[in-house]
Parts: sequence; structure tokens; C-alpha cells
Amino acid sequence: MNKSFVAIAALAVCAVSGQLSAQSTNDENKALLSQIQTDKRAIVLKGLELTASESAAFIPIYDEYEAERKQLADRTVALLDKFVANYESMTDDAARGILKDWLSLEDSRLDVTKKYAKRFEKVLPAPKVLRFVQIENKLDTAVEMEAVRLVPLAKH
Amino acid sequence: MNLPELALALVALTSPIVASAEELGLVTDEQILLKRVMEDKRSVYAASLALSDSESRAFWPIYDEYEGKVKKLDDRFLELVNRFAAEYDTLSDAEAADMLKEKMAIEKDRMALKQSYTHRIAKAIPAKKALRYAQVETRIENMIRRDVYGLIPLAH
Repeated sequence: MNKSFVAIAALAVCAVSGQLSAQSTNDENKALLSQIQTDKRAIVLKGLELTASESAAFIPIYDEYEAERKQLADRTVALLDKFVANYESMTDDAARGILKDWLSLEDSRLDVTKKYAKRFEKVLPAPKVLRFVQIENKLDTAVEMEAVRLVPLAKH
Repeated sequence: MNLPELALALVALTSPIVASAEELGLVTDEQILLKRVMEDKRSVYAASLALSDSESRAFWPIYDEYEGKVKKLDDRFLELVNRFAAEYDTLSDAEAADMLKEKMAIEKDRMALKQSYTHRIAKAIPAKKALRYAQVETRIENMIRRDVYGLIPLAH
């Protein structure tokens, strides 16, 4: 990060407030989540550089992992829908509910990663599991940055 | 960023980094980065939350307490990165497993802290502003993660 962090952060924070329709940004987010689910498997498998036997052990568990992640993605879409529905006339109760659901979702995402990292450790060398978690973290961050950028900040 | 650009970015993110951790000077870079962020975040929040005087009096003590605890987790993370850099070229299964465990523990502690303090903030200022705070916090976290993860080579 360079010295213009404040300016960049402030820009990122302010850029979308009130400028984009909450509904259109939500539609973009749904498209983004769908696209990512399609592309991610190939990216992860390429990044892990598994042997044939490692792939045979890893892929069935990875598919289970992705199925659980899909449920989290569905919860994310439901949360975005709730935010959009309340955006123009957000009450404190609605904001409190969205906050609670959001934090719970983030916690669930972490739990799923932790749970499957333990399972992967039983079938892969630990350095490759560490590599998997690093790749997941990078992908999650890239996706979340884009998704969050599209969601306007709650009005004051 | 549109969807094809994002897909390209995701591929770029997971491409193996060949330089060693020490060659990248990642520990020093991370220390500078984290220090810079801690200094600048306050001004970003001040600009984006537009708190009244009474809201400010309620918000800042909680925020400062939160940041103090986050700093301890950042220090733990830096220690972990130091270990990773030291062991990078000869990472054993046991070391990787232990680092993975510590990384998950740090993330879980970070999430617990975020949940606890976001709920406290939502009780101290209007929930709509607390939601806005959480959105800004998430954007900043993601920018930091993107930059930090970008400095750390994938395990091999």
C-alpha cells in the first residue's frame, strides 16, 4: 500500500454512495457470484499443482466444500436483497438485523474454511493445504472487494 | 472492473510467486503497511461517518479500544509471517500444519473481536451508522488483505 492510502480509501468509501441504484448493483453482484462459482474450481486446481493421486483425494472433498460455500453465497445474495429492500428507508432495526446476519455470514465462512482445511490435511501434505488456504484467501478478498465496491454505503 | 477483467485478476492472483519471502522483503513491507494503516484509518472513519458530537463521544473510545486489540492480532500475524519467511524454502509438514492452525486461530479471534465491537458500536450510535462503519471497515480490511496477501508467496 502506498502513501496515498487515505485518499484511495476515502475515494473507495465515498465513490459509490448515492450514485448507483442499489438494485442495479445487486444485480451485478448476483452475476459476479455466479461467474466466480463457474471459474473458481479451475483456478484453484491450477494453483495447487496437485499430483494425480493428490487430485483424486482432494477433488471429492473440494466439491463438498464448494457445495457448502454455495449455501453461503446464497445467504449473501439474500442479505444483499434485504439491504436493497431497505436501502431507501433503512430503519435502525433493519440495519441492526443486516449487521447481525452479515457478521454471522462472515463467521460461517471462516468456520467452513477451517473445517475443510482439517479434512484436506488428512489427504494432502500440510504445505499444500496452507497453499490452498492462501489461494482461497486471495480469491475471497478479490471477490469481496468487487462485491463490496458495488454496494452503496448505508445512508446516514 | 468487469467480469472478464476480474477473472483475469483472479488468475493473476493465484500465479505462483517464484521469489523467496526474504527476497521480497515482505516482513519489512508488512510492518510499514500495517503502521501506515493504523495511522490513517481514523481519518477515513472521521470523514465517512459524519458523527455528531455526542455520537463521537460514544464512538471513539470503543473504536480506540477495538483498534488496540486488533493491533495485538496484527502483531501475532506478523510473527507468523516472520516464521513463514524463515521456513519458506524448507517448510516441513509439521511446520506448515502448525502455521495453518495459528492462522485459523488468528482469524477466528479477529472475527470474534469484530463481532463483539461492531455490536457495541451499534448500541452506542444509530445502527444505520454502525452498518456504515462496518461497510467502511470491511473495505479497508479488504484493501489491507489484498496488499498483504500480495506480498506473501504461496507455500510450496
